[in-house]
Amino acid sequence: MQRTKHIAIILSDTLQSTGLQSLIMDYFHPADISYYPDFTLFSKVASDHFDYYFTDAETFTINADFFLPRKMKACVLIHGKEIPSHSLTPYYIGIHAAQETIIEQMQHLFSVDSNPLPHEGNKELSARETDVLQLIVKGSTNKEIADKLNISLNTVLSHRKNITAKLGIKTVSGLTFYAIMNGVIAADDIEL
Amino acid sequence: MPLVDANIQLSEVVESHSSLIPVLNRFGIKLGLGDKSVREICREYELDTDFFLTVINAFLNEEYFPERKLQSFHTSQIIDYLTKTNFYYLKFQLPNIERHLNSFISQSEPANQSLKLIGKFFASFKDELTARIEKDQRQWFPYCLGLSEKLQEKTAEQREPDLSLDAEEQGEDMIEALLADLKSIMIKHLSGTYDQNLCYAVIFSISSLEKDIKQHNRIRYRILVPMVSAMEHHVSIRNA
Repeated sequence: MQRTKHIAIILSDTLQSTGLQSLIMDYFHPADISYYPDFTLFSKVASDHFDYYFTDAETFTINADFFLPRKMKACVLIHGKEIPSHSLTPYYIGIHAAQETIIEQMQHLFSVDSNPLPHEGNKELSARETDVLQLIVKGSTNKEIADKLNISLNTVLSHRKNITAKLGIKTVSGLTFYAIMNGVIAADDIEL
Repeated sequence: MPLVDANIQLSEVVESHSSLIPVLNRFGIKLGLGDKSVREICREYELDTDFFLTVINAFLNEEYFPERKLQSFHTSQIIDYLTKTNFYYLKFQLPNIERHLNSFISQSEPANQSLKLIGKFFASFKDELTARIEKDQRQWFPYCLGLSEKLQEKTAEQREPDLSLDAEEQGEDMIEALLADLKSIMIKHLSGTYDQNLCYAVIFSISSLEKDIKQHNRIRYRILVPMVSAMEHHVSIRNA
């Protein structure tokens, strides 16, 4: 699942802002967009939780204290067709550019994950989880698994929950397939 | 997507959403739609336009599910539709997946064990779905219809044993979980040599059954089940 992007648009021009919002909704969903007509209103909210900021060159320059440290998350709308060589930010949108170009510029910005997810946990099953999986596909009940492995029923349930979360497989038929394909269990050990 | 209304030409809707064709067939509508509007087609086939529109709109838009409106239709309409979807799974969609799956297995590398396992997995899914459909037709649907007739007769009668689905059946739907696992396993864990084109045919037919069953289950659990508990409540009040 794609993560929702939190985006702040700080622009005095209503049509520019509406246009941006509609492009984001059409091509860069899911996004949660907040709109502020000026920086004063914007600074009244918790302004640091956004993943990306869109603003114009003037607002950017006047509030450089805020934007410069966040320039990798900020995109500036510029009027000219040429990229200003003294550009303060790596990301910009030329408002007179063709839609195709604008979308490319936005792709460029969004391709940088401003807030990478913490490294996803290990998807390999632990030794204990593998034991539990073997018993599940042999058709043991939770109670039998608990007795055999000398653990509590709650521990069995939490192992089952972790197995399902790690493998993304909910049903016993699915787990059986996984177990055989990955050599957790031999095909002749169970009746399919 | 904008909602379909009674004035729209049905052929235009079907041209952009061919997945609607089995749903139309279920209502008895055949292709050769010409330029007729939804309203005209419904008149021709003697269908309740409002009910037809609600069902196809809910089918086309996953976000759209007007619970209050659906519950306002007659129990027999809802059951009739669910019965037809069950029939369609049994007669067409299951055999269709099976056909693709069998040629997928037989035309791929014979030594590929993972394919045989997929075949067995599908067989267990088929048993599960077939059993549910049999129970629907034999027990649950007649029970729901009986309740609704009883309320219309307006005479107090002996209350029959409560047959409503238990909480477990309503929670995590086993059928949906099996289908999701089957698809995800093929996508994530398939190995060895196999016929790629037939593999796609199998996954495509599984996905279309999955979409249909999700829709069926929404009506089943969020419309029929509350309708039935409301009727049970009325019957028990009257008998009190």
